[in-house]
Amino acid sequence: MADSVVMGSGSLNSGSRSGSSKTSTSPTENYQLARRRTLQVVVSSLLTECGFESAEKAAMETLTEMMQSYITEVGRCAKATCEHTARSTPTLSDVVITLVEMGFNVDTLPVYAKRSQRMVITAPPITNAPLIPKALIAGQKRTHPTYIPSHFPEFPDPHTYIKTPTFREPVSDYQVVREKAASQRRDVERALTRFMAKTGETQSLFKDDISAFPLIAAKPSAIPYLSALLPSELELQTLEETDSSEQDDQTDTENSSSNVSQDDQSADKENVVLPPGGVVPTGKANEENMIDNPYLRPVKKPKVRRKK
Amino acid sequence: MNLNRIKLNSKQCRIYRVRVNDLEAPFIYNDPTLEVCHHESKQRNLNYFSSAYTAAVSAVDPDAGNGELSIKVPSELWKQGDEMKVMKVYIEFSLDQPKGGLHFVVPDVEGSMAERAAHVFSFGNQNSTRFWFPCVDSYSELCTWKLEFTVDASMVAVSCGDLVETVYTHDMRKKTFHYMLPIPTAAPNISLAVGPFEILVDPYMHEVTHFCLPQLLPLLKHTMSYLHEIFEFYEEILTCRYPYSCFKTVFVDEAYVQVSSYASMSIFSTNLLHSGMIIDQTPVTRHCLAQALAQQFFGCFISRMSWADEWVLKGISGYIYGLYLKKTFGVNEYRHWIKEELDTIVDYELKIGGVLLHPTFSGGKEKDNPTPHLHFSIRHPHTLSWEYYKMFQCKAHLVMRLIENRISMEFMLQVFNKLLSLASTASSQKYQSHMWSQMLVSTSGFLKSISNVSGKDIGPLIKQWVDQSGVVKFFGSFAFNRKRNVLELEIRQDYTSSGTQKYVGPIKVTVQELDGSFNHTLQIEENSLKHDIPCHSKSRRNKKKKIPLMNGEEVDMDLSAMDADSPLLWIRIDPDMSILRKVEFEQADFMWQYQLRFERDVVAQEEAISALEIFPTPASRLALTDILEQDQCFYKVRMQACFCLAKIANSMMSTWTGPPAMKSLFTRMFCCKSCPNIVKTNNFINFQSYFLQKTMPVAMALLRDVQNLCPKEVLNFMLDLIKYNDNRKNKFSDNYYRAELIDALTNSLTPAISINNEVRTVDNLNTDVRLILEEITRFLNMEKLLPSYRNTITVSCLRAIRMLQKNGHIPSDPSLFKSYAQYGHFVDVRIAALEAVIDYTRVDRSSSELQWLLELVHNDPVHYIRHEILSMLAKNPPFTKAADSLLCNEALVDQLWKLMNSGRMHTFNFSPRKFLWCLYGLNPSIYQSYLGQKPKQSPCLERAFCEYHVVMEPALIGVAMAPLGLKRKAETPLSSSPEPGQVMQEEPSAKASVKSKVSNLL
Repeated sequence: MADSVVMGSGSLNSGSRSGSSKTSTSPTENYQLARRRTLQVVVSSLLTECGFESAEKAAMETLTEMMQSYITEVGRCAKATCEHTARSTPTLSDVVITLVEMGFNVDTLPVYAKRSQRMVITAPPITNAPLIPKALIAGQKRTHPTYIPSHFPEFPDPHTYIKTPTFREPVSDYQVVREKAASQRRDVERALTRFMAKTGETQSLFKDDISAFPLIAAKPSAIPYLSALLPSELELQTLEETDSSEQDDQTDTENSSSNVSQDDQSADKENVVLPPGGVVPTGKANEENMIDNPYLRPVKKPKVRRKK
Repeated sequence: MNLNRIKLNSKQCRIYRVRVNDLEAPFIYNDPTLEVCHHESKQRNLNYFSSAYTAAVSAVDPDAGNGELSIKVPSELWKQGDEMKVMKVYIEFSLDQPKGGLHFVVPDVEGSMAERAAHVFSFGNQNSTRFWFPCVDSYSELCTWKLEFTVDASMVAVSCGDLVETVYTHDMRKKTFHYMLPIPTAAPNISLAVGPFEILVDPYMHEVTHFCLPQLLPLLKHTMSYLHEIFEFYEEILTCRYPYSCFKTVFVDEAYVQVSSYASMSIFSTNLLHSGMIIDQTPVTRHCLAQALAQQFFGCFISRMSWADEWVLKGISGYIYGLYLKKTFGVNEYRHWIKEELDTIVDYELKIGGVLLHPTFSGGKEKDNPTPHLHFSIRHPHTLSWEYYKMFQCKAHLVMRLIENRISMEFMLQVFNKLLSLASTASSQKYQSHMWSQMLVSTSGFLKSISNVSGKDIGPLIKQWVDQSGVVKFFGSFAFNRKRNVLELEIRQDYTSSGTQKYVGPIKVTVQELDGSFNHTLQIEENSLKHDIPCHSKSRRNKKKKIPLMNGEEVDMDLSAMDADSPLLWIRIDPDMSILRKVEFEQADFMWQYQLRFERDVVAQEEAISALEIFPTPASRLALTDILEQDQCFYKVRMQACFCLAKIANSMMSTWTGPPAMKSLFTRMFCCKSCPNIVKTNNFINFQSYFLQKTMPVAMALLRDVQNLCPKEVLNFMLDLIKYNDNRKNKFSDNYYRAELIDALTNSLTPAISINNEVRTVDNLNTDVRLILEEITRFLNMEKLLPSYRNTITVSCLRAIRMLQKNGHIPSDPSLFKSYAQYGHFVDVRIAALEAVIDYTRVDRSSSELQWLLELVHNDPVHYIRHEILSMLAKNPPFTKAADSLLCNEALVDQLWKLMNSGRMHTFNFSPRKFLWCLYGLNPSIYQSYLGQKPKQSPCLERAFCEYHVVMEPALIGVAMAPLGLKRKAETPLSSSPEPGQVMQEEPSAKASVKSKVSNLL
């Protein structure tokens, strides 16, 4: 598990580095580059200490990378360990535990630190810690409410959570709204019917100017009563919208009524699924609330007549 | 007595063979109605036709023991008949392209018959079962039935009685429905409907099953969710269970009538179905359901002894239907309905002639015709005019109500209960068919049980209204004698003009005085015209005092309008409508106004409104406006007030002040507070105000200014109503409302100013008319994309376009209407379009359009349309006998003559006659004898997908002395049932062929 974390953080770092190599002007990047240069110096001195006189650039880079990963991982793990024990600042013991966790023999550390051939490295050049560019300040930064301990992280920048209404003042004058809705609908209807009339057959009321008041031609339909009786989809839609509250009322009353009506309802549903052939699934016939209606009974098979 | 001949009724059936007890029997088939008057006959007038037609119908009348099919019983069996042994008669027959009796609806689309929603159903006027199988086609011949129908496996056959079982045929492609009707039933009450129906078992009553055409199930569910309440109501008032063990309702397309009831089933027009969003159709459909159910008790279960007793059945079923109306829709609605029915029958009788409920035919000679004023005979249900029969039913239930007034409702219901319980006892007597006559009602039997139950003698009432035709016409006027403090009332009668009769007896007069309302019963006698009624109140004025009304209510009135000397506020003659009468009463305008404002009876209010039309004064205007605004007032009264107000406003044109009538009222009631020119978004939850909102613009559009034009202000107001109409938040559909707004635009049209008949072009279109036309075009086009319920908007648009044409705004041209009149449009649209074509025919005297219409009468697949064309032509005839017209020629007479002579117009034999009568009257000189060819048979695209077997079990047969039974069985395969995917253009090939066995049991 630790490996994967290491790898993860490494790749994260490499990502940031490849990003930085391209443009190296911003103060943040300068700061990071300085740190890295220090690391390189460290790596070089360690190599020298080990007796190397020169190293290939690629090897140097790799070692620097490893070093950085290692340190990062120590820091990350130490932080995690300390947070695990409900603290916010890592202590020495956290670092020690981390090192132990990472398989490092801590006892060897003091000896190593006091070794004779240790090279002293100059302190890294002091570069100003990069200024976090001020994001657009929007609103007041909120402080913690009283019930949140102060050691908890601060609120993020307000721009991440506040909302700024951007709509215009709506036209609230009733007359204008109605006027607008009415003319809009009329325009849509007129445009639609004109389109339909232009694309299809038409009838005309005038002989001189056929296009004056085009009427969509009347076409007989095979089953005229269907369209005339069934509510159109638009109407159904409005019905659903307006009716939803009332339907709730209805179901309430139905639930409160006796069992009989509930039976009826369920029986009713069974009728709906009845196939046109009138064949009823026989399994349902056993149910006690099944209605005994001759039209719901299954169709009998013909009797086989032997003699002819 | 020998039984050597059996006579049965049969029409249009092709009979192959007849066997009696397995012996071949010779038979003669003769249908005299096929050609009523012979070719050779030189006479050609309606009287002659009428008598010939009556003779033809009598010749096959089953009640007289006649029939089209005469079977000679083989001599070997004569003895058996004497011994009253069972005889079985088998009849093998087929039915080829039936023109009546059965109606096939086969939509012209791809797919199998079931996918195409093809269906067939039986229909007919009165006893017309003979059109689809041989039978004793009489309401008085009862028998039990076994019916078998073999149909395609995708179809359901619905018929009378209990469905015993459904069995597949051997090839499993068809199934046979076995029905058993154990309750003795007359053949005319047998029906059949076959189609790929969706099945809905009533959730409240599992023995009730509803059937509708595919895809309509949601509508069916909603429409039928109410039926159980009607059931409960009838069972409760009749204290009798529904007589049949099951009930079926079938909704079919192209139905000839909206409702037809048969034993244990009713067939309805599919156009009665509606969703929950439709307001206007709901009461109509409920009325139809209630009517159908009332007829199940009286009409189907209880049948009639003879045609002369029909009024009892129609009367009782109409009466209990009225009770249902009263309970469900309220007393106001009921009284309004009674008034409406009374007005209809009175108008009809005064215009056309008396309606006789119980005709008695002494002798049998045509000279004894009790109704010589009519151009048809009332001897047989088949010879009647359709309209006359409607009026007959109307009068029958009004007379029942009169009987109720006399003997009280309690006794009335007891009588009904007695009739029903006797009948149900009789019906359970399986093998004692002589008991079954208890199931038939006769006038004398009915009157007897009334006198048994109530102990009252209603003889004079029956004599006056049942045995005699005509209504009473009263003229009333009054004077107040101040000295004697007496109201001198004069009531005169007109009993000499046609359709009237003399009334002698009591009449109730209600006088509203300052001190209260008083009822007086006066005796109308031969010579006394004047009646003195003492007044209770002195004409003193106590201004503070409240005035007591009839219902006990006490109200403040502004009495300044009334005559200072008289204490009379208003007078009503026969307020309870207990006489079939028309009253023309004269009283001062302020009395009508008081009556309108303060009388609580809707009938009185309606009478006052129609009386106020001739008093265009500011006071009338105020009274009407007040009524309009009053929420408590019955909405139909308020609707009527709208139209009256429009009339008054037009009469007061020069003195009218303020905005156009009703505009400010409408604005106050239905428009937004902040912007009075914009109507509120629709919310029709309050039906009363919905109806008012619909009606007011229609009435307002009738307003005219000094130039006799619709005021610009009104027109703009209506255009705004259309523009701002917004139904998005409404749970109800606004299709009827929008349709009425178009009607309002139509009403606003006035004749165009035309300069010597120039051709109407787009350029010289009036700007207002252009706006109207713009709206109509848009509505009509939108309807193609989003059709409204029952295409109400298309109907209104077509009417509007015809009106534009008629008033000379756009060129008169029938081609648009002709395209909408085609088969394949919704029936309401077709009727509206045909009405426009008929109007065009009259105005432009176009013989080609008349020919086109008559062609349609010959060929249209929908019987209802064919009938409607003729009756609309009769209402709006292309020419009258007074005026000369190019259309009036011999060829037309010949054509119509052939049409009615051919016997092809099975169900509405009458309509061509009515049309001819409207054109020429009875005057025989116009018709010249002229011989022509028989009309060609119209090809009918009908297809059978069903075959049937009918077994009539023990029954009485009219010819024989001995009670004999009939057993009929039919069995056959259908010659060719259409293959799936078969296309309709092919020659019509299929036929239902049926073998029938008739046998004699007992």
